Amino acid sequence: MNLLDAPANAPLRIVDLAGGEGARRRLLALGFHKGDIVALDGKAILRGPLLVRNCTSDTTVALGRGVAQKVLVEPVHEPL
Amino acid sequence: MSRSDVPSVVFIGQPNSGKSTLFNSIAGPKAETSNFPGTSIKHTHSRVNIEGRLLDIIDLPGAYSLCTTDPAEQVVLTHLFGERPDLVVNVVDASTLSRGLELTLELVELGYPMVLALNMTDVAERKGVRTDAAALGRLLGVPAVPTIAAHGRGVKELLDRAFEVLDQGSRPRPLRFSGAVEDRIAALERSLPPGFPIVSNPRFTAVKLVETAGHACGDFLGEVEPGLRAAVDRVRRGIEEGRGAPAYEVISAERHHLAMKLFEDTSRVLRGRRMTWDKKVDAVLMHPFLGYVILAAVFLAFFFIIFKVGSPLESLLLGPFVKLKAVLAARLGQGLLFHLAEGLIQGVGGGVAIVLPYFLPLLFLMSALEDLGYLARAGFLLDAFMHRIGLHGKSVSPFILGFGCNVPAIMATRTLESHRDRVLTSVLIPFIPCSARTTIILALVAFYLGPLWAMGFYAANILVVAVVGWVISRFLKEPSPGLILEIPSLKAPRAGAILRKTWLQLRSFIKFAWPILIGGSLVLSLLSYVRADRWINDMLAPLVVKGLGLPHELGVTLVFGFLRKELSLIMMLQALGVDYHNIMSVITREQLVVFTVFISFFIPCLSTFAILWKEIGKKWAFVSAGLSVGIALALSWIVRLVL
Repeated sequence: MNLLDAPANAPLRIVDLAGGEGARRRLLALGFHKGDIVALDGKAILRGPLLVRNCTSDTTVALGRGVAQKVLVEPVHEPL
Repeated sequence: MSRSDVPSVVFIGQPNSGKSTLFNSIAGPKAETSNFPGTSIKHTHSRVNIEGRLLDIIDLPGAYSLCTTDPAEQVVLTHLFGERPDLVVNVVDASTLSRGLELTLELVELGYPMVLALNMTDVAERKGVRTDAAALGRLLGVPAVPTIAAHGRGVKELLDRAFEVLDQGSRPRPLRFSGAVEDRIAALERSLPPGFPIVSNPRFTAVKLVETAGHACGDFLGEVEPGLRAAVDRVRRGIEEGRGAPAYEVISAERHHLAMKLFEDTSRVLRGRRMTWDKKVDAVLMHPFLGYVILAAVFLAFFFIIFKVGSPLESLLLGPFVKLKAVLAARLGQGLLFHLAEGLIQGVGGGVAIVLPYFLPLLFLMSALEDLGYLARAGFLLDAFMHRIGLHGKSVSPFILGFGCNVPAIMATRTLESHRDRVLTSVLIPFIPCSARTTIILALVAFYLGPLWAMGFYAANILVVAVVGWVISRFLKEPSPGLILEIPSLKAPRAGAILRKTWLQLRSFIKFAWPILIGGSLVLSLLSYVRADRWINDMLAPLVVKGLGLPHELGVTLVFGFLRKELSLIMMLQALGVDYHNIMSVITREQLVVFTVFISFFIPCLSTFAILWKEIGKKWAFVSAGLSVGIALALSWIVRLVL
């Protein structure tokens, strides 16, 4: 599933970064790599961006829905 | 003085690492800014004397990595590769250490003499992260110093280490990637032909060739020979087949793992002490409902404070200039000398007394909101709305700056990654009422028709921005790449740091805008000295009298409005031959509104036009001017129909 469909406030593992090279490089530079554990902290109204926290490096980014759709994740069964 | 005499020291770090704060605390208020720190394509530099030793210190824009397509980050590469600084100070946010180390690893690969500033250790402590700086330094082969730049803590030790490295050199120890990847890199390293432009060392050059594949930093490595290109492609394919991912991603993942390992080996995380209050505050600040209530309150307070500070300051500062002009008029008569002096006074006075009173508090509050980390959160909240006009949340802070002055706002669009977003934001900014136009709106609309009218005027203005943005974005084929915006952790802003930042920004604004303001005023005075205002009025009569229904004498104020928006107000009084309190005796309410609407919109002022030209090109500068004229005419016509 992608980040848009992911449950909030639960640990998720990034399984792949899809999408164009530009967005991928940007995500990598901001510290979002395959295998990292992230959590969805919130969604803005009116199809606004998603608030995604990287639990590995403890950083947070806002991702537009288009970008969030390209981040593929799976649920992880361990506490945050 | 040549470079060899004074060592050059560059400050490099990821955005929000406190790099500029550290730089400013060393550079002090004397720093020579070429441009806007943080949002700058150029860099801030300063020559400092530390215990009798001179240093040229340079603050480069924040960069997440040395492999980038972001225009602001490209500057970092150009500088690093082109200027070869004598020392690199890498500033890392200790509270997000594992990510920050990814850039550090790249810098260690680069191999220039280097010291590491482990900054914001206080925030890290609060999060329960404790790092052994000495151990980290040993693993990387560079001295590492814990600092808290906002308090000035650790700065002296950092400088001591910096001098040691400058005197004795340092040997950064690049960490090796995993076996197969490292072997392929080494093979490429050996096949670099003699005479190939090596950046710093062969391994770094080989890594960057593989990583960039003709993108970004590839440009700096020069034209690749045909044979070498094939070799690079072979190595890249080898890596890609081995790991099933693009080479840039493989290398990025390698650094990611090395960085995490470094972090684990040198830091202790006390889970029990993890900071929870800021998560709670953030949950409220970015709440789907409360977040917007707070946002509205913050912006109302923001503008309220600016006007509360600005308007008394304006009348206080304007007084002496008016008096000086009266004195000069009495002394010099009506000759050329008086006109030149008048132009000079109006130019300086406009800059000092009209722009500064509003711009200064605006810059101060902007810096405070930025340091606090609120601007990024505002970007998050407003992203959905910005999407409606074809933009995204990152354009929010240039727009807010535009309320002070459009010129720095357009410069600030450099933080946007895509060219399309930059163009669209820059074309929209001139429709935002800057402090000069706000002065007119307040002086004419609010004063004569009441504050509600002024607020309506503002609302209409924002609506215009939205409509124009929506229309232009239909024409820009390229889709917006979408929002990827870091939300930095909340920090208590410190007055000293904010004041320094405000001062630096103010100075670069003064350097760019004041010469144009003063030059424009001098030209205007000469025009009126040669009585050119009459034939300008006649020439513009079809537009002014027929088109807008305004008095014939106001034609010349439009020309003034192009040079200096707020001058139209002064010139309007002069042209009509009345003083401020008697305007309504010579023009009607409708004419007043039409005049204000037309003056606010009809063209970006000369300084704005110049910066548009410089930043996004001639074509878009003219598009912006054309749009403004069209919209000003349409709006004035609508006002005449309605009133």
